[in-house]
Amino acid sequence: MNETPVEEMSFEAAMAELERVVSQLENGDVPLDQSIALYERGDALKKRCEEALKAAEARVEQITTDANGAATGTVPLDG
Amino acid sequence: MVTALFGHRDCLGHVTPEGHPERVARLAAVADALAGMDCLDRREAPLAERVDLLRCHPESYLAEIRAAIPAKGIRALDADTHVMSGSWAAALRATGALCAAVDAVVGGETSNAFCAVRPPGHHAERDTPMGFCLFGSVAIGAKRALDHHGLARVAVVDFDVHHGNGTQDLLWNEARALFVSSHQMPLWPGTGQRHERGAADNVLNLPFPPGTGSARFRQAYDAQVFPALEDFAPELVLISAGFDAHAADPLAQLNLVEDDFAWVTARLCEIAAGSAAGRVVSALEGGYDLAALGASVAAHVEVLTEWGERQ
Repeated sequence: MNETPVEEMSFEAAMAELERVVSQLENGDVPLDQSIALYERGDALKKRCEEALKAAEARVEQITTDANGAATGTVPLDG
Repeated sequence: MVTALFGHRDCLGHVTPEGHPERVARLAAVADALAGMDCLDRREAPLAERVDLLRCHPESYLAEIRAAIPAKGIRALDADTHVMSGSWAAALRATGALCAAVDAVVGGETSNAFCAVRPPGHHAERDTPMGFCLFGSVAIGAKRALDHHGLARVAVVDFDVHHGNGTQDLLWNEARALFVSSHQMPLWPGTGQRHERGAADNVLNLPFPPGTGSARFRQAYDAQVFPALEDFAPELVLISAGFDAHAADPLAQLNLVEDDFAWVTARLCEIAAGSAAGRVVSALEGGYDLAALGASVAAHVEVLTEWGERQ
């Protein structure tokens, strides 16, 4: 298992490892003691992904809203 | 008038594999670079309409992309291009941004616009996703301006460091569009030689060798691109704004700096002021060094706002 501290991982790296962990757990062939460690690792990775995405979303919200959190333009209705 | 800025959080939902240059953090870097610009008219990008996509891609291609998206995980469509659950919405927002920006600019609501979106679009051909791209967003925007709004002539200028092979493919037979691409050669995708001229002599390719730098880039635009655009007299100028020709970019070696992007943007705005009532729609394509990307986007959009205010 990759033991890079999760807080140092990029969003993409955390996502990729989370998917590997989930598929290992789903396969059901991991011994119980290892599966607990895997679950804990997966949980930390999931939190890291959520935090990273939330931070990116907060930054990208700035594209469509001004400093007060309001859209400054009219939203086109007909695309 | 003001400059419109189009984007959407769905563009973050397209997640690429670890280590991929076209990554979620690019859009956050762009958002940060534009955060302080209070004069921008900030708008949410709508989802692209089917009728707009079908002007450039057949129904079978849309179905093929949709079907390729896996229920979980990331699927490689080729060595560079990937799809996952968020890719469909992201690509539709990216293309929808172009269509809405064309509507806003042609409709006279704003004089120009920038679309801060991903995935990029200029490598997507009629039937083939490639180079991180799924739909030919800028070509689709050009077609909307021509077919929906009835403009007579639209120019597309692509200064991304890679050849805009997708836009070239989609506009090859479109005599109402002039497509200009400057790019490094040799470099992926390998197309974009001078002899590729379009069915109606409507494509102009400017290949540059690695290490070209600011002076030769500017000379070539002065000598070839701007005169061709002035002769064509477009009623709208679209820009495929890739910032990977920057010296700091990890994927190429054209060695431009932020000021070169500001310079070319100003000249394109000047040409648009001459024949297109200042109408310019620009969209993010490449640019993979986050600091250089942010600084370059800021320089580009700053010029758009200066010219927007003059209209």
